[in-house]
Amino acid sequence: MIEVRNVTKTYGRGEGAFVALDDVSFEIPDGVSVAILGKSGSGKSTLMHIMSGLDSVTSGEIRINGENIFAKKQKEIDAFRSRQMSFIFQSFFVQGKESCYDNVGMPLEIAEVPASKRKELIMHALNSVELGEKAKSKAKDLSGGQKQRLAIARAIVNNPKILFADEPTGNLDTTTGGIIEDLLFSYNRDKNATLIVVTHDPELAEKCDMQIIIRDGRVQEIRDNTTAKGKI
Amino acid sequence: MKIADTLRRAGRSLKQAKARTLLTSLAIAVGAFTIMMSLAAGEGTRNYSNNLIQSNVDPQALFIVQDDSLFESGGTASTGLREYDADVSEQGGRSLKLMNQEAIDGLAARDDLTDVTPTYQLSVRSIEFSQSDTRYSAEVAAYNPDVISEVAAGKLPEKGTSIAADEIVLPEGFATTLGVSPEELIGNEVRLTIVQPSSTLGEAEAREVIATEGVEGLARRAQGETRTITTSVVAVTKQSSTSFTATTAASVSAETAKEIAEFTTEGTDSYQKYLGVTAKAAEGYDPAKVKAELESEGFSAQTAEDLQSLIFTIVNVLQYIVAGFGILALLASLFGIINTQYISVLERTSQIGLMKALGMRGRDVSRLFRYEAAWIGFLGGVIGIGLAALATALLNPFINKTLELGEGNYLLAFVPWHALVLLACLILIAIAAGYFPSRKAAKLDPIEALRTE
Repeated sequence: MIEVRNVTKTYGRGEGAFVALDDVSFEIPDGVSVAILGKSGSGKSTLMHIMSGLDSVTSGEIRINGENIFAKKQKEIDAFRSRQMSFIFQSFFVQGKESCYDNVGMPLEIAEVPASKRKELIMHALNSVELGEKAKSKAKDLSGGQKQRLAIARAIVNNPKILFADEPTGNLDTTTGGIIEDLLFSYNRDKNATLIVVTHDPELAEKCDMQIIIRDGRVQEIRDNTTAKGKI
Repeated sequence: MKIADTLRRAGRSLKQAKARTLLTSLAIAVGAFTIMMSLAAGEGTRNYSNNLIQSNVDPQALFIVQDDSLFESGGTASTGLREYDADVSEQGGRSLKLMNQEAIDGLAARDDLTDVTPTYQLSVRSIEFSQSDTRYSAEVAAYNPDVISEVAAGKLPEKGTSIAADEIVLPEGFATTLGVSPEELIGNEVRLTIVQPSSTLGEAEAREVIATEGVEGLARRAQGETRTITTSVVAVTKQSSTSFTATTAASVSAETAKEIAEFTTEGTDSYQKYLGVTAKAAEGYDPAKVKAELESEGFSAQTAEDLQSLIFTIVNVLQYIVAGFGILALLASLFGIINTQYISVLERTSQIGLMKALGMRGRDVSRLFRYEAAWIGFLGGVIGIGLAALATALLNPFINKTLELGEGNYLLAFVPWHALVLLACLILIAIAAGYFPSRKAAKLDPIEALRTE
């Protein structure tokens, strides 16, 4: 369960201050897929950064499994993120000069997973995005869709409980984007992991269990289809 | 992130920018090479001079003088006048107190000294050989029984034993001048002509000479008496690379040297006056203690060890100068590391952001960049030290041949533990240089870094 409680984020001070998020509150049950829908500049990316502990709040708190993450030390937040969370970005951020295998291995190094267990985890993740045969290829030699699949393999290799996807299909055509969406939703279903998709694409948002619509830093509307879909 | 993973990742990052890594390392390699060569040259020269001293100087040997200004560089060069003293010799603007026979006899009588031999200044008017009618001029020195030179012909006595009074040792060059083989000289007669300085007599002295020796005696005095010493060649020596003794001089026994020195100075102020004596600390006596005792009695002495430390001081100064240039080169290369790593941080902004988003701690990011710098230092060190090892191996035979140092004497000595210490220092220095870029990387804001372009 992720609880967002009265989160306000202000950049700057005084007259020039800009309120990115204004008293945002909602709850996300475990294992659901959530779309944070909003236009560019609505504050949806800031919300994702705050929910993952990458950014700080001006006021309010984020509770994950009942614990306020901002009460923790930076070291603990980092450790928590390395074991429980992962990210997928619009522009992939794969390391072009490294092999696919090394790209996927990075989160395991950061989470200090013993070297002996890594190979199996990496190959499993690569196979689940159908890139098993590309393990030794350099990431820069992949196509755009393959790069995002590689990013997904990297995101799921350490079996995170929460997966953040920031415009995951924004740089891809419809067909390739569809494959990426299928991969994300199947991970969400199969592992009962929470999937939080940040997007401005209503079609993608429709496919999620929940939609949180953000406008000008405020929650405009929360649509909850979880009961309709038979979840919870 | 575990240290082993960080190290591996750092190595991988460098491999991805091969040209840049190599160029940065090469800058360090230049410094490392220079420092390693200076270390090798210092070590080699010290080894060589050690060899040189050990084969020339008995560790028990002492050189004793009356006046310590001989051992001091600079010293007190007086510009004014000094009162006349028969025991003082003026040399190069400096007054040296000479040692007289009385002092020498005193030294010879001591229990802690043996083989007290004055340093004879030998001047021979001419030298004649049975092979030639020509009269030659040549340098003559006292035979040093502690240095066994390589012989071209004939035989030298064992170490420590002098040649006989009527024997002479010639350098190979003499045979060449005479146009004969060294073997032909052995056993042949060599005549040395020495001349007593002419003396100016006062009227009373002149009358006395005429009264006792007649007018002829007076004429002889005025001309300077001449004596011929006949010796036979016992050996012809080769030019030696590890020998201090002037191999251009003919060597005569100490007795003959004394005879020449006394005859050629008789009647002058420098009769039986010497710059100093060479002696040996008697068996069971520590030369350093003997030296201290002599000094308390007003003499000055130099031991074999003093000589060694004097040479080492010169070698060390030269070594520091070369090493100084190496350190300067190294210093310049540090800016190379800092620059390279700053560029690397900028280039990899998104990677750093991603790693931080995935939970990598700032401390680990910083360590990653410091390890990269360490790798650059390591690589530069290995290249520089490797080149120095190669240069040492290639140059040694060449230097040896050019300077005719003789078998087994090498001026460059590559010491493995020096190389290891240097390498460790280079890595530490590189890490220090990587500190600023690594701090920049550690402080990078992941949100800023991951902002979609």
